Order: sequence, then C-alpha cells, then structure tokens
Amino acid sequence: MSEHQHIGIPGYLGVFAFLFIATIITYVVALQDLDGMFFPGANTLVALAIAFAKMTFVVLFFMHVRWQSRLIWMAVVSGFFWLAIMFAYTLQDYLTRSVIGY
Amino acid sequence: MENVDSINTGEEKGEEKVNYLTNGFSVKSWLLTKDHKRIAIMYLISVSVFFVLGGIYAGLIRLELLTPASDLLESGSYNKVFTQHGVIMVFFYLIPAIPAVLGNFLLPIMIGAKDLAFPRINLLSLYIYWVGGSLTLFALMQGGVDTGWTFYTPYSTTFSNSFVMLVGLGVFINGFSSILTGLNFIVTTHTMRAPGMTWFRLPLFVWAQYATSLVMILGTPVVAITILLLAVERLTQTGIFDPALGGDPILFQHLFWFYSHPAVYIMILPSMGVISELISNFSRKKIFGYEFIAFSSIAIAVFGFLVWGHHMFVSGQSIYAGLVFSFLTMVVAVPSAIKVFNWTATMYKGSISYDTPMLYAIGFLGLFLIGGLTGLFLGSVGLTVHVTDTYFVVAHFHYVMVGGTVLGYLGGIHYWWPKMTGKMYSEFWGRISAMLVFIGFNLTFFPQFILGYQGMPRRYAAYPEEFQVLNIFSTAGASVLGIGMILPVIYLVGSLINGKSAGPNPWLLPGLEWRTSSPPPTFNFEKTPVVTWEAYSFGEDSGLDIEEARRESTVSPTA
Amino acid sequence: MTHDDKHDDHYHPPGLQHQFDDMGQQMDSVTIGMWTFLAQEIMFFGGLFTAYLVFRSRFPMAFAAGSNHLDAFWGWLNTLVLIVSSLTMALAVFYAQKGNRNLQVVMIILTMIFGTVFLGVKAIEYTDKYNHGLVPVDGWNKVVPEGEDHGKEAARLSLPFETTVSAAESADGSDKPHPNPRGEFQITDADLDLVTMAQKEGFLTESEKIGYFSNGELDPEKVKGKVQIFFWIYFVMTGLHALHMVVGLGIMLWLLVMAWRNTFSADYYSPVEISGLYWHFVDIVWIFLFPLLYLLGRHFLAGGH
Ligand code: HEM
Ligand SMILES: [Cu+2]
Repeated sequence: MSEHQHIGIPGYLGVFAFLFIATIITYVVALQDLDGMFFPGANTLVALAIAFAKMTFVVLFFMHVRWQSRLIWMAVVSGFFWLAIMFAYTLQDYLTRSVIGY
Repeated sequence: MENVDSINTGEEKGEEKVNYLTNGFSVKSWLLTKDHKRIAIMYLISVSVFFVLGGIYAGLIRLELLTPASDLLESGSYNKVFTQHGVIMVFFYLIPAIPAVLGNFLLPIMIGAKDLAFPRINLLSLYIYWVGGSLTLFALMQGGVDTGWTFYTPYSTTFSNSFVMLVGLGVFINGFSSILTGLNFIVTTHTMRAPGMTWFRLPLFVWAQYATSLVMILGTPVVAITILLLAVERLTQTGIFDPALGGDPILFQHLFWFYSHPAVYIMILPSMGVISELISNFSRKKIFGYEFIAFSSIAIAVFGFLVWGHHMFVSGQSIYAGLVFSFLTMVVAVPSAIKVFNWTATMYKGSISYDTPMLYAIGFLGLFLIGGLTGLFLGSVGLTVHVTDTYFVVAHFHYVMVGGTVLGYLGGIHYWWPKMTGKMYSEFWGRISAMLVFIGFNLTFFPQFILGYQGMPRRYAAYPEEFQVLNIFSTAGASVLGIGMILPVIYLVGSLINGKSAGPNPWLLPGLEWRTSSPPPTFNFEKTPVVTWEAYSFGEDSGLDIEEARRESTVSPTA
Repeated sequence: MTHDDKHDDHYHPPGLQHQFDDMGQQMDSVTIGMWTFLAQEIMFFGGLFTAYLVFRSRFPMAFAAGSNHLDAFWGWLNTLVLIVSSLTMALAVFYAQKGNRNLQVVMIILTMIFGTVFLGVKAIEYTDKYNHGLVPVDGWNKVVPEGEDHGKEAARLSLPFETTVSAAESADGSDKPHPNPRGEFQITDADLDLVTMAQKEGFLTESEKIGYFSNGELDPEKVKGKVQIFFWIYFVMTGLHALHMVVGLGIMLWLLVMAWRNTFSADYYSPVEISGLYWHFVDIVWIFLFPLLYLLGRHFLAGGH
C-alpha cells in the first residue's frame, strides 16, 4: 500500500473533466420531462445513475481505491451494503402496507 | 521454542519491576495517559459508577412494585425512574462495559501488541464517554425524562419535558465513544497482530470484539443521527417523527431499532467472547469448533441487522414485513445456538475446575439459554401479540442482558482481575457471590415470565392484586441479587489491599496475556512475542512449561 | 509519558508513533482507520437518506414542490465548486507524495478557498429561504408586516443576487413577497397547482390521496405540512453537510501548517492522504444531495405531464 499509485496529473484532469461534464448533463437532463418521454421515474433513475457514476470515479481515482487492498474494498462495499440493508428493510415495510396512515 | 521462553517474564523475582500501574503516580499520568490498560481501568471505575446508579434505580422500581398500589412513587416519578434505569444501564453500562474495560485492557495483549493502533483516540473515547455521561446525569438529576429508554415519539417530542433534548444529546455524544472504540479495535486487529498471530490463532475473545466493533461502526451512527433529529424536532416543534406535526412515528422506530437491535449484540457478543475463554480454559480443553464460534460471531453481527422489525410487530408495520422479520429472527438465533452447543461440547469430558469465573460462565449458559429461547417465543408473530409490552418481555431481556452480559462481565472481571491488578481475590467469597447472583437473579426474573404471560403490562407503577405474590418473589430475589453484586465490590477492592500476589499465570493457562507479568509492563511485553502455538492448546505445543508456571504462581486453581 | 524505551531502541523515523513498528504498519493503520470511519459516516448520513426515501416515496409531489423552491443554479454551481476542490485536494496529495512543498501548499489553499466559496453560496441560499418564509419552523422566518407596501428591498436582507425561483412571491407574479407577520413557513399557489395537476393526471400516490386532502377537497394546510417536511429534511441534510465542510476546513488549516513546515515527503504523507479521503467523502455526499434535493421533480416546471 505504501507504493503511491495514482493516475498522474493528466489522469486527475481527465476524471475532473468527466465529473464536470456529468454535472452539466445532470442539470440539463433534469429540466427535461423524461418521465413523460419514457416511463415514470425515468428522471429519478437518470439523476441517480449519473450521481453513482460520479461517485464511482471519485472513489476509484481521487480516493485511490483502485489501488488499495481487498480490505479497503470491503470497507467501501460494506458501507454501501449496510446502507442498502437499511433502505431495503425499511421500504419492505412501507411498500407493503395495505393501509398507509394519514 | 527459544523465542517463547523469552516472553515468560517471571524472572527477576523479588526485585520490583515497573508495571503499568507503577509507571507514574500523578493525576496527570492517568488523565493524559495513552496506555490502553490505564484507560481500561478508568473505564472500569466509570462504568461501575453507572452500574451502581442504575442499580439504585432498579431497587426503587422493585420496591415500588412490592405492593399493588402506586404508593412509594406516584406514576410520574415511576416513569422517570424506569427510564433512568434503562438509559443508564443500556447506554452507559451494558454497551461500554465489556469492550471498553476488558476489551481495552486485553485486546492488545492478546494479540501481542504494544498498544491499540490509536492510543489518543482511545483516550478521546473515554473523555467523550465522560462528557456524554455527565450531560445525561445532569439532565436526569435536573428534571429527568419519562419516555422509556427507547425515546419513542410522541412521548419524547410532545409530552415529555425538554430535558429529553439534553438526555438525547448525552446519548448522541456517548455514541461516538462507542464508534471510536470500535474503530480502534478493528484497525488494531488488522494491523497490530504479533508475528505468528494469524487470524485463526486469535483468542475467540478477540473475534467477538471484532464482530462487536463492526456493529458499533455500522449501527451506532444511525441511532446517533436519529436521536439528534429527535432533539431537533423537540426544539423546533416541527419535524418528521411526531404524528401531531405531520411526521411518522414508525419511521422513528425503524431507525431506532436499526441500531438498537444490533445494540443487544453489542452487549452480548463480547460477553460470549469472555465465555468462550472461560469455558475452554477452565475445562482445560481446546474449544470445540473454533471456526464455528469465530464465524458465528461475524454471522451474528451481520444477521443481527436484519431483524429489527421484531420490536415493531404491533406498531403498525405491514404484515408482510412482520413475517419477514419474524422469519429472520429465527435465523439469527442459529449462530447463538451454535455457540451454546460448542461450549457444552467443550465442557464434555474436560477437566473442569469450578473457580469463580467458571461458575459465572456456567450460570451464563443456563440463563442465556432461557433468554434466547424466550426470544424465539417473542420473535414469532403470533405469540408475541399476546406478550408484547408485558413482563414477559422484561424477563426475556433481563435473562439475556443480566444473565448474559452482566454474568459474562463479572466472570471476565474475576478471571482477569489477577492480570489487571496482580492480586488474587478471595476465592471463597467469589464463589459465594457467584451463587448469590445466580439464585437472586432467577428469583427476580423467573416470576416475571409468569406475570407477563398472565398479562401484567410493563411500565406501570400499579397493578391488580392478583399479581402481588409473584411480585414479592421478584423483589425478594432482587435483594439477594443486590447483595450478590455488592459483595464483589467489597472483596475485589479488599484484594488490592491484602490479596495474595497473583504471579504472571495464576490459572496456569497458555494464552498470551498469561505470558507477561501481572500487572503487565506499560508496553505489555518485554519483547514482541512470536506466536507458535494454536489458541487454547494445553499440551506440549503451547510451549508453556506448566510445572514452572505452577512454581511461580503463588496461588493455584482448584482442580 | 514516561516509557522505558527498551523495546524500540531501533531507528525511529520522524512521524512514527511509538505503538507501531514501522511506517508501513502506521500507513496501513491510518488508512484502514479512515475508511472505517467513512463507513461510519455513510451510515450517519444514511439515516437521513432513509428518512428522505420514506417521505419522498410517499409524497413525491410535495417534494417536487419543495425542490422547485430551491435554486438549482446555486446547487449546480456548488456542485462544480466542490468538484474543483476535490481535484485540488487530489493534487495536494499528489504533490505531498512528490515532496513538493510549494505546490502542495498552493493546492491546500485552493481547496480551502473553494470550500469557503461553497459555504458562502450555502449562506446566500439559507438567507434567501429565510427571506421567503421557507424555513420550516414557524417564527424563524423574516417577518414581513401586513399591509405595508413592501418593495423588494424592504422585505429582504440585501443580497447581491436574487436567487429563489418561486418562493413565496405574490400570486399575481409581481415581485412583492407575501406578507408574513409572524415569520411562518409559507407555500405558494404554484405548489397547490402542482398537486392539482398530478391529481388530474392521476399519478398521486396512495399516501398523497390521503395526505393532501380533507373530505375530498385539496387542503392547503396539509400540503403545506408535507412541503414543510421537505424543507426540514433539506435543512438538516445540507446543514449537517455544511458542518462537515467546516470540520474539513479545520483539517485543511492544520494540513496547511504541516505542509508549510515541510513535514510531508514520499515516506510520510498519510495525514494528507486521509484528510483527502474525508474531503472527497463530503464531496460525494453532495453529489447525491444535489440531484435528490434540487433536481428531482424539476421537470414538472418544464410543463410536465
Ligand atoms: C436469540 C436471540 C434473541 C431473540 C430471538 C430475541 C428476540 C426478541 C424479540 C422478538 C423482542 C421483542 C419483544 C416485544 O417487544 O414483543 C425482544 C426484545 C428485547 N430483547 Fe431480545 N432477542 C434475542 C436476544 C437478545 C439479547 C442477546 C439481548 C441483549 C443483550 C436482548 C435484549 C432485548 C431487549 C432489551 C428487548 C426489549 C426492548 C424494549 O422493548 O425495551 N435480546 N427480543
Ligand atoms: Cu431485538
């Protein structure tokens, strides 16, 4: 791990360019009525997909996870896995209510 | 085995060596210490104070319930008393007790490290604990809260007084003490193991601490943010939990139990780790199914996160969710059952010595079994409707929290007391108190199963006449239990003054912690140990000369 | 601390703490430690995201209405600002590894500047919410007395920019704010229109059919309650995020001092590395907050269904 591995200045700039463009796209796309054009929830899906892509780039390259040990990968994955548990099992209740209060 | 001999630090008899206790006597040398052992001792004192406080509240509860009428305390004060009891015991005793005291003291020694990976963060966690604890105590003394330890909204957001905010803040702050301890343990276990100390040579206590730390890291922040939101809601009188404000009280319960069910594993897992040590060592037999016990700890930590909804069966969550949570509750009992099975199998044909720590361990086995099984009753959607919010639940969780965690803690304290202080306590009184605790405990809480099944609800100051007999049993048992808990304070402290010197290895055991002097030096070992033996090996291959250890030790265990 | 140094009489590199054997072990420990901490942070924010998820899945229209009161431009700008700061942070680590003191210092300073700009924009936005009766706590908003002829200036803290798109402006489209004599939380007719529109199109959720109406009639108070929940969540989430930024700035200041003193080198740069991890994490949180709070539901403004 003590090897410093990274993608060098051009690489960092490349990642930045991606993030920059993705931010512009997400803004522009959010103003279009994708729900109407494709299917309900399309806007949400696209916005989150872009956010995930951005996050992945930051995690892999800015945070150097790409070159880290399996353990670090596991820390990252388990963080999100537990978040998913919380979402899934909470929604499992809300989405299956026959009567939803108020 | 040359390397092994060098660790066996009994040499230089007669000449006083500097150990962690004698390394500096000023107050500053304690308050600014980075030594995990000194921090553990300060934690020991602090959690004991909270335990005594919580115990006093428990005494008040039992006294009130001696008679059917609410005569000693009117119901408002009664509500405050049981809340205070719960908050103090859960957040300031049960959760920190074993990790912060025994874990702190032993984890680095057991893996052959000089200290935890982040000694300063360790000290910080102690200070955070003090701040959170003082804040909570202050609020409890000032006005107290009457919401129950669960802080359910709308009690907490609308009906309780505004000290809810302070208590919430105290619990919030205290959470970070837990998180930092967990972080430290995880990193330490990964990076600080001595040469030769592979993962599968780790004592099971370390595995248990590791699993506990996972839960602390992934669960505690959720309750922290939830309680913080609750406090903000109480302050602003708008928010997302209180139905009167348009919020959703069930969301609060989801977020609260997302942590608080795993939190019961924060309480029990370390205790299970202690029990693994005790059972194997006092049976002088390699533990049965090491890998199973190790992985069941991890399994409990993971699956423990999937069952929180079993606290919400009657809250209005969907029937489907109730079924899923009920099923998963059955699943999570499996790893616990595996452990109980393996402990029993370890004792089978072992040469068991019934010293005080072992008495506690055996008590644990019986009580945890009952606690766990009644947990299964409560986990089945059908039955639970009948017994939810009755004394059946109260009995269940006391069987696991007192019968499990407190007994494991006391067993561990007795077991490692000679290591921590260098002194041996009175075995006679030790056994007496272990017996008293066991008898008193059962007398206190077994009647509560019956009471609950007959329908006595929890959290009321008054009850119908027909429940009185069993309540008198319970209060009588509580007095015995109380005496059983006060005794150790007396003879343990007494042992500091006139206890026999324990020697490095009073129990004649192979673990790393018994291969350094008692009390250990500041950096734990004279020289970094090299581990060449498997955990719990009692034969030749442990590289330990039992005869020499016996000669050095001034007390020898009963056989 | 008085320790007998029997055990570590070997060479002791600067920056190596006593409990570690060598720099590699220390580097591993702090890296694992930071990632463990970040896992904890994920769950900390996770509680809030869960709350958001639960309420948004039930009241999407109220949340859309809330989003439309935010100024997506400012949110977008802040996203860019944070991304740039992440770049400069990554470069600070890069130059620390290279032992290049000057560029390291420059990068840390740049990171701090962008961090501060982010907080500045946040302050502008918060002030704007305050001016427009969008702080979800009654009595915590700007008091706009009834019956006065309040010009734009009179009603606001003077801001360099006019930001909020459609906050509590008068229904007639003039730029005058609603009177708000008690500083209450307010919504607009536009919000109600959104609900009516959704009702006509038939995509109200089951919860919304109960949650916005009393006796079959659209109930403005009930809609307001739901929008208020959006803003409560908005303030808590962005507030906690901003708090993390402030802590991050503090860390940067400390790094700056260390870097200035030329502490870091190819052998010892872990403080920069792990502070960077923290900074990027806070950036990632914002990467999600931006679409969730500012963007979702904005297409309804585009004339939607
Ligand atoms: C075999 C494992 C266990 C199972 C299946 C189990 C199951 C349950 C269930 C279903 C409830 C809800 C009862 C109700 O409110 O109707 C409950 C409550 C409780 N359990 Fe357990 N449990 C187990 C182990 C533990 C352990 C190890 C602890 C603590 C060390 C614990 C502490 C508690 C507490 C404190 C409550 C009551 C919470 C409250 O409402 O105040 N349980 N348990
Ligand atoms: Cu539970």
